[in-house]
Amino acid sequence: MTVSALTRPGERDRLIVKIGEIDWIFCLTLCLIAGAGAVMLFSIAGSSWTPWAGAHLARFALFFVVMIVLSLVDLRVWFALAYPIYGVGFLLLIAVMFMGHHALGAQRWLQAGPIGIQPSEIMKIGLVLALARFYHGLSGRSAQLSWWLIVPALLILAPVALVAKQPDLGTAILMLLTGVIVVVLAGLSWRLIAAGALALAVLAPPIVMFGLHGYQKQRLTTFLDPQADPSGAGYHTLQSSIAIGSGGLLGKGYGLGSQSQLNFLPEKQTDFIFATLAEEFGFVGCVSILLLYAAVIFMALRTAYLSHSHFGRLAAAGVTATFALYVLINGSMVMGLAPVVGVPMPLLSYGGTVMLTVMVGFGLVMAVRVHRYSEVTSGKGSLL
Amino acid sequence: MAEPSIFFAEVNERQGVFHRRAFLLGGCAGVGLVALGGQLAHLQLIETQRYEKLSANNQFNFRMTPPPRGLIVDRNGVVLASNRPNFRLMVAKDKGMDPAQTIKTLAEFVPLDDGRQARLLKDIANAPRRSPVQVMEDMSWEQFSAINIRAPELPGVTADMGEVRVYPYGGAFAHVIGYVAKVNKTDLTPSGPNADPILLNPGFRIGRQGVEQAFDLDLRGKPGAQKVEVDANGHEVSTDPAGDIRAIPGREIVLTLDADIQNRAEEVFGAQSGAAVMMDCRNGDILCMYSGPSFDANKFVRGLTGAEYRALAQYDHKPLFNKALTATYPPGSTFKTLVALAALENGYDPATVHVCSRAWAWGGRVWHCDKAHGALDMKGAIAQSCDIYFYQCALTLGPDRIAVVARKFGLGEVFDIGIPGQKAGLVPDTAYKRRAFKKDPVWHPGETPSMGIGQGYTHLNPLQLCVQASRLANGRKALHPRLIKSVGGVERPRGSDFGDLPFDPKHIDFVRSAMAAVTVVGTAAGLSDMGLGDIKMAGKSGTAQAFNYASGHGQHGATGEWKFRDHAWFIAFAPVDEPRYAMSVLVEHGGFGASTSGPLARELLRIALLKDPEIRARVEKPMPIPQAPAPQTDPDVVDPPTPAERAVDDAIRTPIP
Repeated sequence: MTVSALTRPGERDRLIVKIGEIDWIFCLTLCLIAGAGAVMLFSIAGSSWTPWAGAHLARFALFFVVMIVLSLVDLRVWFALAYPIYGVGFLLLIAVMFMGHHALGAQRWLQAGPIGIQPSEIMKIGLVLALARFYHGLSGRSAQLSWWLIVPALLILAPVALVAKQPDLGTAILMLLTGVIVVVLAGLSWRLIAAGALALAVLAPPIVMFGLHGYQKQRLTTFLDPQADPSGAGYHTLQSSIAIGSGGLLGKGYGLGSQSQLNFLPEKQTDFIFATLAEEFGFVGCVSILLLYAAVIFMALRTAYLSHSHFGRLAAAGVTATFALYVLINGSMVMGLAPVVGVPMPLLSYGGTVMLTVMVGFGLVMAVRVHRYSEVTSGKGSLL
Repeated sequence: MAEPSIFFAEVNERQGVFHRRAFLLGGCAGVGLVALGGQLAHLQLIETQRYEKLSANNQFNFRMTPPPRGLIVDRNGVVLASNRPNFRLMVAKDKGMDPAQTIKTLAEFVPLDDGRQARLLKDIANAPRRSPVQVMEDMSWEQFSAINIRAPELPGVTADMGEVRVYPYGGAFAHVIGYVAKVNKTDLTPSGPNADPILLNPGFRIGRQGVEQAFDLDLRGKPGAQKVEVDANGHEVSTDPAGDIRAIPGREIVLTLDADIQNRAEEVFGAQSGAAVMMDCRNGDILCMYSGPSFDANKFVRGLTGAEYRALAQYDHKPLFNKALTATYPPGSTFKTLVALAALENGYDPATVHVCSRAWAWGGRVWHCDKAHGALDMKGAIAQSCDIYFYQCALTLGPDRIAVVARKFGLGEVFDIGIPGQKAGLVPDTAYKRRAFKKDPVWHPGETPSMGIGQGYTHLNPLQLCVQASRLANGRKALHPRLIKSVGGVERPRGSDFGDLPFDPKHIDFVRSAMAAVTVVGTAAGLSDMGLGDIKMAGKSGTAQAFNYASGHGQHGATGEWKFRDHAWFIAFAPVDEPRYAMSVLVEHGGFGASTSGPLARELLRIALLKDPEIRARVEKPMPIPQAPAPQTDPDVVDPPTPAERAVDDAIRTPIP
């Protein structure tokens, strides 16, 4: 039974109808990507389910269920919780500054018993929700150019500044770009966009010169000239390029990637897993995976396109933008087109935090799809 | 931005903007993904070969495998220098490795004192990354296996099996074969064979003396390479035998030496200082070349301690010196054989009799002999080694005629025997005097008598005296000594291919018969009997002044302080009737030649003869019934026989019970 704008409201609230409305092809695509990740992790571990491949699949299965459950949550609930989630995330970000867990020179974690919480991940979803919630109640004219725009600017910059302070430059940039994309999608005036781009071009060099930590600066200079110190700072980029390039058209074969199997490739199970895939499955394998990612982005964006509510549109598009940024930043980094920043390839890389964020985000996207005909009212939060 | 809307103008305008911009966002994402695909195509399709090469460079290393050094064997294939396994322990700087901790851990397995540990840490700090520093060699199997088990936990530590040179006979061959030792900085040259990177291999040894030095490049061989797969830390993951380049072993060198004779030489010399050289007088092969006392070459391979080296270098018997080649001595009375030959060649009548009354006044001074021999002809004078006879014989010849003959017997000559270190010595003549003495360039007649008895300026090495004995024994060929039989299976020229001696065979026969008399009735009477039945030895003793007696230091015989005693010479050949082996023996400061060196020569010749299957057959067959020898085999070539000569002849032919 397909639903349409003309289906009776009560009909659309039935669970079986909702489940039928979930985009199962989209879900299958996600499974394929996560499965490819498991296949690669199995190879890297020397044909072993431990330590990565098994955990990867188990997590994905769990988070998949989470995604399905979230997709059934009424969009009005999401709408009502938008500001509270943002608020909690922001408070946790402040908390992490004072009692966060130190790891590798950065303060990113909150330890709550056995579970480590990374508030910046909550904030990725929270920011998108808050911006969508805000713009839902804003007229198109105000969204173009008005004093109201100070609110989204603050909504974006405050958490970005806190995350950058941790320091976690990758996440900060990701959040900033996601926020800017949502603001632009909401209808920001082109003149303001042009002015912002100009200001960025003028301000970027001094920020790079004085605002970055030593290792961050080094990553940037290394990116500009990776051959300068091949065994030092440029090592990651060079070895990754070697892994990808030596894969050729069809790859070296499953389990035969010397760059990853012999540890020449750093972070092979997380940030550089795409290079491992490129080495063992070659150009054909890489393009297949990129096509899967393109399909995910296309389907998620189409969900945003189909939504009848402005909140749903912007929320789905924001999540899609985050996901696309992950893929593009990680892909560029692995291929030597961008500096080394700690951004994993979503669903392919090993690691629970980012996978949870992405799957919760897709839960939101699916919720938008399932409830695409729902009116979220005029933004007064009448549901709760 | 305003666009016409049908209803819900406000909402529709927002929606329209979003739709257009979402389309744009999708386009941007698409462009980004296509750009990634383009970069992938660039890396994986266009530049893939370059990256494949880089990947292979990462993955595979070639580890040099040193070639086994060529063997050195004796004429019968007995191995004189070979290689044995050597368990080595090496440490290389590595990622995540703490040198101090590593060395401390290793010290639990192998003995490393504090000084050695400090030196190793300095070496490791100075070594380039991943180039190994040798911590220990010659570990026991227990040490080797204990460390190999722990090696995976000790980054940078490898225990492997190399080869080390070994000389199974220790000292007997040390001077001829030499030894190998660690490479010095001075050995490394920017070009030429010593620019080879194999010299930098910690296990490599370079030839330092003798055959090891002279044929170093032949013995070295060509290093191979082992293809190994390594991980990012340089640890070996696996080997790829198909990719190995095999090392080419060094060439085998076959010497003409006979290990049994050489080893016996070491035994009979004991602590005495001197040299023995034996040649096959049919083809010039050197069967024995020993210089004593010797040293253990194996210690040089390992590296001598300072104390060990000082003990060798400061010992007055000079064990590091190859006395067979490098030391020259006055030949003493052995030279009289050639003075006699020169005299015969110049028409001197061997029947000429001089009377020896122990002293002879000539040229305003008195010339001595060691005893009063009475009336002697030439053969008797050789047998009794009468100085007074040869003073006068030499005076009638003059130095130049003697020197010409002496040089034809290889005296004063440097032979190409393959190993360095020969001293030419000197056979003096008037030209030499003119050349060397600017202030007094004239040969004084008073210098000739000394030359006649092998003293004065004449200085020769034991190899030259052996060549002299061999040429006398052969009688026809100008034999050259040959030490290296073959290199890598390629035979070197034989010593018998160098032309003939320009002397009347009858004259040489005469000298030989006189030498036969020496060991029967002469100075070395009794030495002719070798305990091999009718196989007898002929020879000539020599007792050479080490110092001028007039200075008060020189001592005849075996008394007095060692370093002032006479040098004892003996040259010999056997069997008398068909000479096969000839030799010279020198015992430094050994006193009388006949009593000190003679028995050594006889023992070594006896070993050589016993190893000769034809001689052995002759010895072992039942003694034939004695018969009167046929006249044509009579060695006498000079008529009529003098009474002295006849006595000697009788003495030779008398069977010894």
